[in-house]
Amino acid sequence: MRHTILFLLLLVLLPVSVAVQDLLPGIPPAQERLLLLPVIFAFGVLALPLVPALWFALLTAIVQGLSLLQIQSGQAEMGLTVPVVFFLGWAIVLQMASEATHGMRWELHALGSALVTLTLMAGEFLLLCARRGGFPLDGAVLLKLAVPSAAALLLAPLLYLLLRSLVPLSPSPAEPSTAPRQPGFGL
Amino acid sequence: MCLKPYHQNQDHENRIQIGPLSMKKLQIAALVALVIAVVAFCTLDAGPLLHLKSRLLGILSPISRSGSAVKSGIGSLGRDLMTLDQLQVEYERVQAENHMLRAENNGLRDLQKDNEHLRSVLGYRERSAFLLVPATVLGHDAGAWWSTMKIGKGSRDGIAPDMPVITDKGLVGKTTAVSSDMSEVLLVTDENCKVAAKVEGTREQGISAGTRNGGGELQLTFLSKLADLQPGQKVYTAGVSGGIFPSGISLGTVKSFRARELDGEAVLEPVADTGSLEEVFVITGAK
Repeated sequence: MRHTILFLLLLVLLPVSVAVQDLLPGIPPAQERLLLLPVIFAFGVLALPLVPALWFALLTAIVQGLSLLQIQSGQAEMGLTVPVVFFLGWAIVLQMASEATHGMRWELHALGSALVTLTLMAGEFLLLCARRGGFPLDGAVLLKLAVPSAAALLLAPLLYLLLRSLVPLSPSPAEPSTAPRQPGFGL
Repeated sequence: MCLKPYHQNQDHENRIQIGPLSMKKLQIAALVALVIAVVAFCTLDAGPLLHLKSRLLGILSPISRSGSAVKSGIGSLGRDLMTLDQLQVEYERVQAENHMLRAENNGLRDLQKDNEHLRSVLGYRERSAFLLVPATVLGHDAGAWWSTMKIGKGSRDGIAPDMPVITDKGLVGKTTAVSSDMSEVLLVTDENCKVAAKVEGTREQGISAGTRNGGGELQLTFLSKLADLQPGQKVYTAGVSGGIFPSGISLGTVKSFRARELDGEAVLEPVADTGSLEEVFVITGAK
């Protein structure tokens, strides 16, 4: 039941995060944008068991892929395949990290959010370079990669606390689990 | 601060209630369904993807509208809080502007009469007589490599993909995905928004597009190597046959020009400040 409530809450937060990040003002000096979707994604895949986490990764990939979709000459410049592979890959990596650190931690969420943001934007840039040609890596591009990732790192603990307070029936962080650990990401 | 994953506590309870075999079967079924869904979404073509994007815009529309209303409410609150001195300065500025506009308006009435007379004599259609749909800007896309924004009008208002979007200053971009009450606009500052353009006072024509790093400038390429362009020269849409953008819409001004190996390239300052737009017009047709 707890999984279902958490999953539904995260499902609602996906479009909300996309809409809110579009409304937020840019970060000075170059008006870089803050990305909320990777932060929500990292929380979801760390908090959910493997199978729901993979489903959540798929839904995140669909929302992200569609929001960036551009049709050029009748063809999608970046379809859904790349986002799907990207988010499913990160879901597995973060689940493994969660297992390795014996549970979800705010530090892991912050680091995961920053890394997902950084690799997402770097991946999009490389994909566009491969599609459109050229490799205009300059200071502006590096700022576009660094600022949102650093912002995600700083914002993630706040969102972690907010989401933890929103998720009902969740045990206290300090409360030790009495249930036996299940091997293999809860499968 | 450490939290055991929910599944480590919950799976044990589920196994007691449902039984380990049923739980395993359920998880395997969910994984198989996931694989089918992944394959289905990854093999979608451009048409169904655009349709899905329109559906996503429909879902985002109420959230974006509410957020935009809250944002503008907060912004106007900040603007309204002015000191008496600031209000006095603002009043004097508005009064001076009013006098200037009245004088300008009187002059323009005569010009309008002349213009109408000349148009009727020459038999030209009014080239700038577009059907315009005003739209509020709901937000700018947070993506780093694409320059897009969302506006609060959609197919219900007669908007379709590939319609030009302008302001009173000039060209802003074109619509791409459209839902019933919200549309996405690809801005002229995007690398993919290519516009045929001509330079004022010359016979030079080229293709304008934005830059990948989203610096806000436009690059006008395929000009003649010998083009004699000066900073400050105005650039307008060329309105090629079968294109999206009508001729004569202001696009930007020349900042610099350099001759490349095969052609000339000018850097333009766009006329519309795409980062701070609040209201735009969509050209839905000619009058």
